[in-house]
Amino acid sequence: MGSSVSHAAAPPPPPSPPAVGLAVALPPKQDEKAEPKNVDWLNLPCPVPFEEIQREALMSLKPELFEGLRFDFTKGLNQRFSLSHSIFMGSMEVPSQSSDTFKVPTAHYEFGANFLDPKLMLVGRVLTDGRLNARVKCDLTDNLTLKINAQLTNEPHFSQGMFNFDYKGTDYRTQFQIGNNAFYGANYIQSISPHLSLGTEIFWLGHQRKSGIGFAARYNTDKMVATGQVASTGIVALSYVQKISEKVSLASDFMYNHLTQDVTSSFGYDYILRQCRLRGKLDSNGVVAAFLEERLNMGVNFILSAEVDHRKKDYKFGFGMTVGE
Amino acid sequence: MGSSVSHAGAPPPTPAAAPPTPIPVGLATALPPNTEVQGDGKGVSEKVDWLNLPCPVPFEEIQREALMSLKPELFEGLRFDFTKGLNQTFALSHSVFMGSMEVPSQSSDIIKVPTAHYEFGANFLDPKLMLIGRILTDGRLNARVKCDLTDNLTLKINAQLTNEPHFSQGMFNFDYKGQDFRSQIQIGNNAFYGANYIQSVSPHLYLGSEVFWLGHQRKSGIGFAARYNTDKMVTTGQIASTGIVALSYVQKVSEKVSLASEFMYNHMTRDVTSSFGYDYILRQCRLRGKLDSNGVVAAFLEERLNMGVNLLISAEIDHSKKDYKFGFGMTVGE
Repeated sequence: MGSSVSHAAAPPPPPSPPAVGLAVALPPKQDEKAEPKNVDWLNLPCPVPFEEIQREALMSLKPELFEGLRFDFTKGLNQRFSLSHSIFMGSMEVPSQSSDTFKVPTAHYEFGANFLDPKLMLVGRVLTDGRLNARVKCDLTDNLTLKINAQLTNEPHFSQGMFNFDYKGTDYRTQFQIGNNAFYGANYIQSISPHLSLGTEIFWLGHQRKSGIGFAARYNTDKMVATGQVASTGIVALSYVQKISEKVSLASDFMYNHLTQDVTSSFGYDYILRQCRLRGKLDSNGVVAAFLEERLNMGVNFILSAEVDHRKKDYKFGFGMTVGE
Repeated sequence: MGSSVSHAGAPPPTPAAAPPTPIPVGLATALPPNTEVQGDGKGVSEKVDWLNLPCPVPFEEIQREALMSLKPELFEGLRFDFTKGLNQTFALSHSVFMGSMEVPSQSSDIIKVPTAHYEFGANFLDPKLMLIGRILTDGRLNARVKCDLTDNLTLKINAQLTNEPHFSQGMFNFDYKGQDFRSQIQIGNNAFYGANYIQSVSPHLYLGSEVFWLGHQRKSGIGFAARYNTDKMVTTGQIASTGIVALSYVQKVSEKVSLASEFMYNHMTRDVTSSFGYDYILRQCRLRGKLDSNGVVAAFLEERLNMGVNLLISAEIDHSKKDYKFGFGMTVGE
């Protein structure tokens, strides 16, 4: 009896000792002491999908800024099926030859239907200018997922469709893409350590006989996420997100395009408070943007969007409301 | 003693209405004389004192209620105003505007160009003297002076100076306020001379007329205006020799709600516009909405977030031209 207490209190060496006495009843102590956690190299976590490597940076730094009025209404018909109505009225930029910016007032209405099942997700959107957006996500088996993404337009040769087959392994993910215009792509991402994942992708465009290869790395802990991406198309993209507290996180992003000699760096913050979410961003192109979502009521959100481009002297301000879940 | 109580308590319409006032006796001498309170309470119509009519509103403010309800300052983009009072009479104001302005184009399309300006202003407000100056980053200067020369005579000066030649304007106004009339003489640059006169003809009805003469173009005009208002409604009508007929009607439905409508007809351009609007003045906000016969729907919301902090939201949709103008802003300071 005495020895059981001393056994249970002693730090367990890697081969677990036979438990005796009270130690049998208690759950085995694992890694609460100050020793470094032993990494179970055969049991690494599954990495994020390859296209979501920069997910935190994108969510903080790239809110959906708009100019004008936006009104979204989502109505759930039952637990799985919901309809959405979305109205947008405002100014859109018209490409012009001179360096001046011209805007033309436009408006569109978008009707959407969503069907969400644990195994099957169908999302469809139709706009008044004739564009149709359809997304299908289907879990064929526990590990294999099929995604279809289609955008159909009125104008000929502008429609797009893409099939994605995702396979999720224990500590890796792989994806195979087939698109119209003879686009083929594949990517693979693997967990190297509990915090580090490395990935690679290749693609081939049939019509233009272009191919490319890229590499990506992602290192994340509880408090920060750092990613880097290099591609043979000449793009280098780095990002870093630091979670300062539960409510505040800061993000920064760097992108270099070797072919166009274009360098952009941006820095942003993301305040997630109880009643609102405020995202702000400052760019090396002289663009300052902010996006506020405030929860007025249960299911009613008020949105303010502002973007000031000091270099081009372009100002975009908008407000809107989102009703429904 | 007994008779004094009965005198004071007796129904007094006869003594109040009769031109020769009766000699008060007893308790009635101690109490203040009852004049017009009983007249309304008993249902007898109030007698109009034709020698003591109220002073009318100034001629240019005849349609004031309709203009305030139907023509809020709609804008597109962002507006930020900051007013800082340095002392009781002097205040500075900073105003930033960033947004899209329409550019006149040859085709029927509407093209907007992003613009921005900053306006600095200074206000001096004295009971007898008011000075307001505003200057914008595009070089325009706006100055207004209002000075009470005597109790009845007021001098107003209004000037707008710009960079571009021949676009500056200045106007001098001399206002004389009589007992139940107002008259005004205007002298402006570009040889503009004008005069207007408005008179109360009854406690509710005011009639006025104006004449003007433009020296350079040798044009002259004359106009007539009428305004009828009670506690609950205001009706105005204006007709001018320039071919404009303007009518308006404002009804105060309750303390918080008023409805307004307006009709304008221009005989020269054959332009007819009619608009209908509402004005909700609530405790924390003021919401004005308007619907036009040109297919324009507009709304303007001013919400008081805090003491001295107002949030503005402005929206205007022109369905016939497919033009959309949305803006929001904030006003800080009194």
